Amino acid sequence: MEQYTILGRIGEGAHGIVFKAKHIETGEVVAMKKVPLRRLEDGIPNTALREIKALQEIDESQHVVKLRDVFPHGTGFVLVFEFMLSDLSEVIRNSAKPLTEAQVKSYMQMLLKGVTYCHKNSIMHRDLKPANLLISETGHLKIADFGLARVFNNNEGRQYSHQVATRWYRAPELLYGARKYDEGVDLWAVGCIFGDLLNNSPLFPGESDIEQLCCVLRVLGTPTEKTWPGMKDLPDYKKISFPENPPIPLEQIVPDASPEALDLLKKFLVYPSKKRISAAEALLHPYFFTEPLPAHHSELPRPTRGARKRQHAQHAHEYDIDTALENSLVDPDLIAQFV
Amino acid sequence: MFHTSSQRKHWMFRNEEEIIKLRRENVTMYADKHGDSMQVEDRPLYFLTYDEERLLCRHYEHLVRDFCRKFDPPMPPSVLGTSCAYFKRFYIHNTAMDYHPKWIMYTCIYLACKVEEFNVSIMQFVGNLPNNREKATELILNHELLIMQHLNFNLTVHNPFRPLEGFLIDIKTRVLHIADTEVLRKKAEEFIYRSLATDACLLFAPSQIALAAVLHSASKKGVNLDKYVTDSLVGKGNSDTLKQMVEQLKKVRFMVKHIEPLNPTKIQELEEKLQKCRNQELDPESQIYKKKLEEKLLAEEEETYIKRQLLSEETKRSEDQFLMSV
Repeated sequence: MEQYTILGRIGEGAHGIVFKAKHIETGEVVAMKKVPLRRLEDGIPNTALREIKALQEIDESQHVVKLRDVFPHGTGFVLVFEFMLSDLSEVIRNSAKPLTEAQVKSYMQMLLKGVTYCHKNSIMHRDLKPANLLISETGHLKIADFGLARVFNNNEGRQYSHQVATRWYRAPELLYGARKYDEGVDLWAVGCIFGDLLNNSPLFPGESDIEQLCCVLRVLGTPTEKTWPGMKDLPDYKKISFPENPPIPLEQIVPDASPEALDLLKKFLVYPSKKRISAAEALLHPYFFTEPLPAHHSELPRPTRGARKRQHAQHAHEYDIDTALENSLVDPDLIAQFV
Repeated sequence: MFHTSSQRKHWMFRNEEEIIKLRRENVTMYADKHGDSMQVEDRPLYFLTYDEERLLCRHYEHLVRDFCRKFDPPMPPSVLGTSCAYFKRFYIHNTAMDYHPKWIMYTCIYLACKVEEFNVSIMQFVGNLPNNREKATELILNHELLIMQHLNFNLTVHNPFRPLEGFLIDIKTRVLHIADTEVLRKKAEEFIYRSLATDACLLFAPSQIALAAVLHSASKKGVNLDKYVTDSLVGKGNSDTLKQMVEQLKKVRFMVKHIEPLNPTKIQELEEKLQKCRNQELDPESQIYKKKLEEKLLAEEEETYIKRQLLSEETKRSEDQFLMSV
């Protein structure tokens, strides 16, 4: 703790307050998440352990936020992350101009790379949403908040809590109270985030859990035993029934999307979890290889949280490597009479 | 992935000498620090020596395995493996004279249960202890963070049990002359359990331990797996890799075969010696420790109180401002 000076408060996380701080020795700005552990019945909560456990093992992915340090503080402990200026929800909502197709592609590619990395390391995040996708100064997207992450075990089919994931991004099997699920819940969330990026607004903005299911069913159509085998076995299946309605073509829901984008989106938003396209496969989808190609990270919107300071810097001068050198020089004739 | 794991990065050592050196340092440093009023030659009489501490720790490692095996509800082998790894890692950088192995042992197991997602409540956990359950609850919970800190917060442990499953499946599909690979399981598992009594997990990759276990079992059962190792695992033309691997496997087998027996009378003596020379300030049952803990809690309470006060003043101020502007 003595190694850092606290600069301010960033916000409140799922467990604990997040501070902005500076590492005194290196001057690096970091985000510190303080996890208090006071008089907890069973000691350190599993969520905290899972986050540490998951993050300690993944340190070389460009698209997962890096845990710099962990240390005990008082009766709790502190997680130190690299500081990130903004998150994707801010980018979606604050961007003065709507995101271009190339930019959306770029974000999707980074998100899928991060998810591929997690799934390859047997970690399901369980709470993917724009607010958990942080954006660095250089425009890179990184997955954060592993408080709900679980290390999964493919062959055991063990039970998990269904009260995970923020509602709008929650997979239908979770809404039906499933206790056995897999990394497909992350892929559903990826699909929702994709829709969010394409439309500039959430795909399924349910106000309650029931309404959430309504939103999903209205678009994808009421599931049947054919479109969703095994649905009848879900715990809450019998508790709620909805009037039958046919699916609305996604073309109408996301009117401005290209055919490739729609094709990929459809592969995420399917009822049976096992049928959803894996993150690694999705990265090979034609969407990423048709024009316009994914934007370079320098072409992505700059984070806005520190906007005030940054604007000054931009006034100074803008160099453009694509314009001819002559254009940035002063015409000698103009100044000839003064020299 | 083991290859990129914190285990490989921080908790694997080049050779046994490196581990011995670290452990020796812990013991001598303790004796130097706490025995400066003593003649150097008297110190070994009062403090635990390296060999004595090793014996005592190995005794407690044995208790870890025993406790895990008798645990109710039965725990998966990974919890046992992880508990042992935590305990060993803890005493790489600490001495038993600072932290008594008894509480470190239970806390390691409790933490391993959580990390391996073997969900038992603290009540259930201490239910496996013969007595003093209330005290145990308090001590285990108090030690949790300490252990995590000394484990450098590296919680994931790769155990040899999963690679063993992998090898058994692989042999089943690729080595056709073996009718039933399950005959290899029992002896191989026994081997891995025995390996937990050694420092193998600090020196070898879990897959190496598992392979050594499979080969050990095969030799006992008269099954020949040489071709599987040379052709399927290593591949032809990689004689250097093969040589290195055989060397490693030999070391694992040697280690597991030569486990020194524990001497109960000697252990009893050492327990008594430890009672005298241990660090009172870190003894959770001592008065000094309790006082310190209380001070820490109080200080923190004060801190949150002040923070809350500041915060409420701030909201009051902003509310006032708001009212003024209306």
